[in-house]
Amino acid sequence: MFLAILGPGIITGSVDNDAGGITTYSVAGALYGYNLIWTLIPSFIVLMVIQEMNARMGIVTGKGLADLIRENAGVKITFFIFIGLLIADIGNTTTEFAGVAGSMEVLGISKYISVPIVGIIIWVLVVKGNYKIAEKVFLIFSLSLLVYVISALMGKPQWGEIGKSIIRPDIKMNSTTLTMVLGIVGTTIAPWMQFYMQSSVIEKGLKIKQYKFVMIDIIVGCVATVVVAFFIMVACASNLHDHGIVINEAKDAAIALKPLAGNISSFVFAFGLFIASIFSATILPLATAFYVCEAFGFEAGIDKKWSEAPEFYNLYTIILALAVAIILWPNAPLIGISLWSQVINAILLPVVLICMILLVNDKKIMGKYVNKPITNIVGWSSIILLIGLSLLLLVMPLFKN
Amino acid sequence: MRHLTTFFFSRLLGCDIFDARENILGSISDVWVQAAPHNEEEAARPKIAGIIIKTGGEKRHVQFTELQIVKFGTKYKVQCQSLHDVQPELFSDGMLLKANILDKQIVDITGRKLVRVNDIRMVAISNGAYAIAVDVGMEGLLRRIGIEKSVKFIVKLFRGRVSSKYILWDDIEAVDFSNLNIKLSKTQSRLHTLHPSDVADIIEELGKSSKTTVFSSLDLEKAADVLEELEDHEQVHIIENLSVEKAADVLEKMPANEAADIIDRLEDRRAEALLEEMEKETSDEVRELLEYPNTEIGSIMSTDVLSFNQHSAVKDVLMQIRQQKPDMELLYNFFIVDSKERLVATVSLRDLLISEPDTLLKQIMKKKPISVYDEDPLDSLAEIVSKYNLLAVPVIYEDEVLAGMVVVDDILEDLIGKRRTK
Repeated sequence: MFLAILGPGIITGSVDNDAGGITTYSVAGALYGYNLIWTLIPSFIVLMVIQEMNARMGIVTGKGLADLIRENAGVKITFFIFIGLLIADIGNTTTEFAGVAGSMEVLGISKYISVPIVGIIIWVLVVKGNYKIAEKVFLIFSLSLLVYVISALMGKPQWGEIGKSIIRPDIKMNSTTLTMVLGIVGTTIAPWMQFYMQSSVIEKGLKIKQYKFVMIDIIVGCVATVVVAFFIMVACASNLHDHGIVINEAKDAAIALKPLAGNISSFVFAFGLFIASIFSATILPLATAFYVCEAFGFEAGIDKKWSEAPEFYNLYTIILALAVAIILWPNAPLIGISLWSQVINAILLPVVLICMILLVNDKKIMGKYVNKPITNIVGWSSIILLIGLSLLLLVMPLFKN
Repeated sequence: MRHLTTFFFSRLLGCDIFDARENILGSISDVWVQAAPHNEEEAARPKIAGIIIKTGGEKRHVQFTELQIVKFGTKYKVQCQSLHDVQPELFSDGMLLKANILDKQIVDITGRKLVRVNDIRMVAISNGAYAIAVDVGMEGLLRRIGIEKSVKFIVKLFRGRVSSKYILWDDIEAVDFSNLNIKLSKTQSRLHTLHPSDVADIIEELGKSSKTTVFSSLDLEKAADVLEELEDHEQVHIIENLSVEKAADVLEKMPANEAADIIDRLEDRRAEALLEEMEKETSDEVRELLEYPNTEIGSIMSTDVLSFNQHSAVKDVLMQIRQQKPDMELLYNFFIVDSKERLVATVSLRDLLISEPDTLLKQIMKKKPISVYDEDPLDSLAEIVSKYNLLAVPVIYEDEVLAGMVVVDDILEDLIGKRRTK
């Protein structure tokens, strides 16, 4: 019974730790040691509350989040959200391919070989192949993200230190720290995942009677996300931070691990990055094309033929091709792209969350399954906190000079 | 004489409405149209029956006299002689253009699919205003966002054009009544003209409350056909959301093996309630089928068969078939049984048709027919069907009594289902 509905939460949780996530956690670990690990606790709570709302909305209405936003918020807001999401997701997909390129470079393969090949494989898989099978394979592969546990343990982390810094982190609040904190929260709770989560719940045909199992699925997914994030941070903190190594990308972490923790640790780190990137590089453009079409009323879905859903497949192909092209562009400002897509994510997240929380409290839509007060408190306080942090981040550079 | 004005619903929304003395009466927040048409013309272009106006934060349902709409570019001026408040119940057979159509999914009957409405094209003539078509194209989308003109200008520079797509009102069916307590009426629903598999595809894509609305609007025969075409979990969802009486009525119209499949997937208490509610004859059949495990032939066999006595004449058999008007599947093969209901031979439709009316069945029947036992494994069926080129295989009990038959469609369905789960 559980196996049959196992899925949405766990898949979403796995996609969550994508190349962008791994990069952010690695950089945070290398830069701040154990001092930012505490951010995973509020992230975990917020992630769980949001996914629960998504699942409940999907189960009760049987409609996608894009559908609901379009039907209740009007065209203009929908347009704003989805143009933003489209741009951010092209940036995010680029980050995924950067992950593919980076991880393969650790193994000595040029990005001019790895990225086009992976791009074509992904495209063929979705357009010509069987995506459902691919998803299951990826899900099994995503277990390999647990390799970060090995990576972390090989660095002989100091557990006492970790415990201490979770309770009393030693950080100075400045704009760099703030960017990092927002980055961690933003990458853990990416806006597009809310849409993805809700669609998966609907596709599974879940019922409110199965709510208990859905919750287990969500909790398992969230725990997995946070545990993997925790070990990535620990791996980078205990190996890199203590030696004062500064990194910019996830692949730097893999390379830096080599002399410190040995070849295996480095290889394992790169392998995890590769799997995570390729998984998300498949799902992200697909999900984006799907909910953009859903919102604007074009036919969408991988069970449709190209001639039946031309907008869907064109959009999917364009997103994928753009991302590949940007990566292969010599001297492309990858760090800038990744930063800007994070910023757009951070701006969109509160907007999407506000839409969500208004929808989930609407009696006409949800009937008796509207939010309980406690969910609303957590929901609204996270939204306010996120908006506050985003604003602070946008405003801070102005005062720097 | 220019009494005909076409206009867009999206631009009408939020417009102030004036009385004859240029006083603002309120702003338009939604429009009622007749949904239950009395004739074809009304169905093709429903008339505006009333308006919901907002006067200082308060919503009022009103009717009007002599509505006039004057266009100034993209701005409209709406004027009427007089307004009077009415109870919303007055429009109980109507629907709201904003709440039920605009931005919602509707069924494109000719295209046989769901589309999203970007705008509604309307026309005002001297005796009233009407909705005539829905806009589902790019143009409508751009108009709503407010960048239609500028995008059109840019596209024109590149010698392209923005695609516009309208669907006439008598070619659509509104299905989203989730935020309004009205039911899709049976007589008007154009969904009846669609093939059951198309209706099933549409139902699968709808939101949960609309699924039930649309399904409930179908008559029993159609409902049974559509239910058969739905995916497994959708069937369960539909049956669980119908009243026990209605669900039982629909299940009775289905072949017993299909009904058994669905009931098998329901919760025990619900299944029992349905079986109680169904006619005894049908429910006994279903119960019998439910006894078989999924791996045995009995689980997919159909107990509806045509069986005859070998001493009957062809003309009597044909007469009997003519009177019973059985489903197509039942004609795949006819069975000859003895006095103890044991299977002794089969007769094909072809042989029946080409024989002289006075021929006796025993002269044309094929003895020692290929048959399977009800408890044989399912896997063996495909091979038998393809080896002997059969459309329907008779199923017998251990004592050779005819239990039913398995038709080739159900075998295919079983095979495809297996491949999908692999």
